[in-house]
Amino acid sequence: MKKLTAPAVSAAEQHFNAMDRRHFLRGLGACIALPSLASLVPSRVLAAEAPQGLATTATGAPLRTAFVYFPNGAIPATWWPTGGGADFKLSPTLEPLAALRNRLQVVGGLDHLNARAGADGGGDHARGNGVFLTGVRLNKSATDIRAGISIDQAIANKVGHLTRFPSLELSCETERRSGNCDSGYACAYQFNLAWRSATTPMAPESNPRLLFERMFGAGAHGARAENAQRRMQARRSVLDFVNEDTRLMQRRLDTTDREKLDQYLTGIRDVEVRIQKAEQFGPNIDPNQPTPNGVPQSHGEHIALMYDLLALAFKTDTTRVATFALAHDGDNRSHSEIGVVEGHHDLSHHQNNQERIDKISKIDRWYAERFAKFLQQLEEARDIDGNSVLHNTRIVYGSGNADANRHSHDNLPVVLAGGGGGLLQTGRYVQHGGKPMSNLFLTLADQAGATDLERFGDSTGRLGNV
Amino acid sequence: MVPRTNPPFTPLTLLPSSYAARARAVGVLVFSWVLPAAAFAAEDALVTFKREIQPILNQYCYDCHGAGVAKGGVTLDQFSTTAELKDHKLWLRALNNVRSKIMPPADEAHLPPAEAEKLASWIKRQVFELDPAVPDPGRVTVRRLNRTEYRNTIRDLTGMDFDTKKEFPADDSGHGFDNIGDVLTVSPMLLEKYLDAAQTIVTTIMPPGPTEIAERSVAGRRFAVVESKKTVPLTATDLTPAASGSSDAPAESAPIVKRPAPETSGEGLELSYYTPVVVAATHRVAHAGKYEVVLDLRPVERFVDNQFDTNQCRLIFSVDGEKRFEREFARMSGKSLSFRFDCDWQPGEHTFTCEIQPVGADRPQVRQLRMRINAVAVRGPLAKEHWVTPKDYGRFFPRAVPADLADRRIYAGEILGRFATRAFRRPADEATVKRLVTLAESVFTLPDTTFEAGIAQAMVAVLASPRFIFREEGVEPLRAGQTHPFIDEYALASRLSYFFWSTMPDDELFRLARENQLRASLAGQVTRLLTHERSGEFVRNFTGQWLQARDITTVVLDDNAIYQREHPPSKASLESRATFRRVSAIPEAQRSPEDVAALAEARKASGDRRSRPTMVPTLSSKLRQSMQEETEMLFEHLLKEDRPLTELIDTRYTFLNEELAKHYGIEGVTGRAMRKVTLPPDSPRGGVLTMGSVLAVTSNPTRTSPVKRGVFILDSILGTPAAPPPPNIPSLEDAASPEKLRSMTLRENMALHATNPLCASCHSRMDPLGLALENFNAMGQWRTAEMNQPIESAGKLITGEKFADIRELKRILATAHRGDFYRCVSEKLLTYALGRGTEYYDTDTLDQLVAKLEAAEGRPSVLIRGIVESASFQQRRRPPSAATTSLTQVTPAAPAAAARHTLFSP
Repeated sequence: MKKLTAPAVSAAEQHFNAMDRRHFLRGLGACIALPSLASLVPSRVLAAEAPQGLATTATGAPLRTAFVYFPNGAIPATWWPTGGGADFKLSPTLEPLAALRNRLQVVGGLDHLNARAGADGGGDHARGNGVFLTGVRLNKSATDIRAGISIDQAIANKVGHLTRFPSLELSCETERRSGNCDSGYACAYQFNLAWRSATTPMAPESNPRLLFERMFGAGAHGARAENAQRRMQARRSVLDFVNEDTRLMQRRLDTTDREKLDQYLTGIRDVEVRIQKAEQFGPNIDPNQPTPNGVPQSHGEHIALMYDLLALAFKTDTTRVATFALAHDGDNRSHSEIGVVEGHHDLSHHQNNQERIDKISKIDRWYAERFAKFLQQLEEARDIDGNSVLHNTRIVYGSGNADANRHSHDNLPVVLAGGGGGLLQTGRYVQHGGKPMSNLFLTLADQAGATDLERFGDSTGRLGNV
Repeated sequence: MVPRTNPPFTPLTLLPSSYAARARAVGVLVFSWVLPAAAFAAEDALVTFKREIQPILNQYCYDCHGAGVAKGGVTLDQFSTTAELKDHKLWLRALNNVRSKIMPPADEAHLPPAEAEKLASWIKRQVFELDPAVPDPGRVTVRRLNRTEYRNTIRDLTGMDFDTKKEFPADDSGHGFDNIGDVLTVSPMLLEKYLDAAQTIVTTIMPPGPTEIAERSVAGRRFAVVESKKTVPLTATDLTPAASGSSDAPAESAPIVKRPAPETSGEGLELSYYTPVVVAATHRVAHAGKYEVVLDLRPVERFVDNQFDTNQCRLIFSVDGEKRFEREFARMSGKSLSFRFDCDWQPGEHTFTCEIQPVGADRPQVRQLRMRINAVAVRGPLAKEHWVTPKDYGRFFPRAVPADLADRRIYAGEILGRFATRAFRRPADEATVKRLVTLAESVFTLPDTTFEAGIAQAMVAVLASPRFIFREEGVEPLRAGQTHPFIDEYALASRLSYFFWSTMPDDELFRLARENQLRASLAGQVTRLLTHERSGEFVRNFTGQWLQARDITTVVLDDNAIYQREHPPSKASLESRATFRRVSAIPEAQRSPEDVAALAEARKASGDRRSRPTMVPTLSSKLRQSMQEETEMLFEHLLKEDRPLTELIDTRYTFLNEELAKHYGIEGVTGRAMRKVTLPPDSPRGGVLTMGSVLAVTSNPTRTSPVKRGVFILDSILGTPAAPPPPNIPSLEDAASPEKLRSMTLRENMALHATNPLCASCHSRMDPLGLALENFNAMGQWRTAEMNQPIESAGKLITGEKFADIRELKRILATAHRGDFYRCVSEKLLTYALGRGTEYYDTDTLDQLVAKLEAAEGRPSVLIRGIVESASFQQRRRPPSAATTSLTQVTPAAPAAAARHTLFSP
């Protein structure tokens, strides 16, 4: 069978006489280098006519929210700082964040009690991962998947219309193993952080090239905006047909099947909204940099590249809500880059063996180093109000397992980075003394303008002293 | 109960129906499914329970599961109402445990076959309320095509190979398979990808119009050397990488240079960065006009870890002697580069010239940098009057496009009707075809837009439709006396083709469905599908997931750590390393002279070690590929030759090539091809448990994992998975001190599982099985000792059988536990075939499949036929409320006049 590769131009384009095509492109003036945010963002924000305070800081800059997940918890002894309040000393694991200590807070005493075993028995990795952003008791089943809406989606529901993408989901997981996942839990719980609804996980993108193209369009710099536009136009007529097909199919299916089709419909509606937005927002931003090649060989490079793209997404205001899974909970890869060859998960059951503990601490620190680089990028980028992008962002960096040796889920290792538009108290180590993590999520939602959530997950109220 | 007249193809009439004629158990319990249905049905279940079943439980079960004792959290005497009694989950577990002889435990009184049968019958008839004459086919949630199915379906529908692994996220799996309806979701991002994919696929395969710009390609290998400039004399010495060891050691003399000549590679030509040369090719054009020339390049190199090649070259590309392109290139492998130039030509010959000039002084030639010329494409003449008919045009557009709009609509209807029928895997109804034609029309009536572009856009809509992406199934009207309807012939065609080929039905299946003859020719079709080469997909996807053979390509193993478990470093070596670490940690200024001396000594020892590197075995990608094939080929062999399935566990042959045989330490196999090899009589190998794929996938990166291997056997061979660990497991350090733990072998380590009864209940099931395989290291190689201690592989199964080594274990599994294995394979295969997990209402079906296997010595043909003929495969559970429209009630469009071509067939 002939292996055909896709040509770089669409069928419609080939109808243009080749000369005309070039004139058309020049006329569009599409070679937009990444402008300084000052000239770009205000028109975008105003174009969307955002009510005051919706994912916007008091100074009028975008307010971004991100959730970054690292697997298998952290060694408490080397994670938690010493001291307290503003007068604290960073631990060895978090020491790479030292330069930015005034832009973050180390947060202790937050729990995800719904990740505990209780009557469900084994499955702390499925639970740790799946409960992290949802706060609910997961349904223990390999096939009957029921989680809950995740906090990033709850916020995106309110503020997503302000940007081209309501939210972005990233991950560095490319493979899935066959066989069963954790102790009878569906694999979906371990490989998704964001949930649109109790039954629809938001599958993340792990390929840097595809993520870049999704945000900015395919092709080389200069051609992307036009490519993206053309793709949108072609979609419209297809969507009309597909909508009708789905409507008729809905009538033929029974209830359980309709739920599956609903997922499909949700995706269709998203695309329709995106087309409408494309008109509203005008041509795509086209960053003056080459498209990434694909998935890098090493985990470290992959992480760095995805962090770069996340920073780019925030700097270009492509979205204001994102989640990023560095690896799934229970991840057992070896970190030979830093000389730790045993599987991460296996090591995390260290049974108080000091050598294993040291190796885990090394891994924890390595993840923290990547995170520090990301924060540095955001710190160096200027926003329209003169502050750094990091000042106008909040990032929850944490894991759903606390002490992985014991599979505990209280006092989770969390760093809350960023100034949150000036609303967060940075530069300290704070202990909340055993409150639900979901309370923090409610507070963050409030600060983004999503104030109508009465409760979330297992929340007992808003978290004060944030 | 009056037996109903069954429609053709229920398998139910095969076993004898009288109570007395039930088969004598041959070590496996065979249950008569019609049995006391009559006796039990009339009574309330609780009454029967108290009278018939409780006496049995009282004698064999209540010591641990009754009268207030609840071992394992199970009580069997606390039922006050019938509703409480009908706890499907509980009784299914009980049934499975009794059948696999896990309960009663081996050291307790053993449940006689007669009583076990009585219990089983009661459970099936009264608790599950299964009616053997009317089996419940269950329901499969409508499922979308997974990545593999999507790729294959697109290939068979359009001819294009669309790489779903690169473009789509991985599918979630359930019950061990990635084709389970409940688990496959469509996230918004995936939907976007479907839309993009539809667009890409159609753009690739469809000609954009009746004519297009002509394109010819001058392959790289057609370029010939015009002159090679010898400005630097060649040296005679071989190429060696500059300074082994540290890369910053300065070169002692001028780097050794070589000037490799241009070399063809496939269709391309590779020009070395280091050699000045000029190559040229000519191309003849017939017409005058403007042309577009595209130069397609790709820098390549031979990768050497940790050493970099800083040579650069200049590439000059000329057309007819005029320089069009000049650029310098450093090392930049992996990028595809293409450059376009406009040319204004007269008819006749034109010359393309590529010149390479090395830039700057010669530097160490570590990586054999080359610039590969893939091809030079010539597009043109660009003027429209010279455009030509696209190559594949006739395949999609069988006749000329009519001028009249009404005729165009009819023509569009023909083309789109045929395409939609194949894409939706059932006849496209008139309304759909009309809508597609309207869509096409809305595009081709735009100014400057061809008819072909309109058709293309409609095809995008077809590929984006849920009717392509999801496998919707129609049902036939109920026949007289039927409770659950048959799926219609098209749905049956799809089920068959996706089961055996992981792709859409082919022309013959479609034809039989159209003529309503598929169900009637079922046996013949199953044979055809299985013998066709596409059934390789079935082998690959089923074994890939059931036996996890897929994972061998990605499993991460640390070669050195594994090697060191069998060749632990000597005491002196360990001391030297410890010294090195200790002294290195001291700041240099504070080291004593003894420290410095010790450090130098340690460095020398390490340098000595490094200059005599040992060949540590590794699993290269070729070796992994061979291991995957070994597993697949065994399964395929059993399938094709219809050999007993127990040969998957224990057999005297396997499939090897030279590299794999050497890895296993088996002599006498040469050559790269995988072939069947008879093993020596006392070989421990043979069967999947001793195959590299399984052994590596069930290991940790640095060592074997007997627990994982034990779990694999329980889950995938015996079908008796262990319960997940309970909460609050006390940590292992509470069982022994850290020093003691460090000095013990893996077996001794795991013996600690046995001392705590909480752990022992499950670990006594898994550990012995995994430990029997300890002679195979994490790479699947045979060994007799680990960490300087000999390996013992003897053990005992939880059902009491003792074994001395893996050979005896395999024999026990393949004989005494044959029934468990048959049930496990049947469950897995049924799950894969149906796209849903097996439930309590499948018990009768599974029992019959096991009985068939037992009667036929485990031949897979019996199992496969049994599944295809079963109610679960042939029927759907009647929905509680009838849907407003059924798929089969939709009027198909009038079939087009007999097609002269089969459109879109590759």
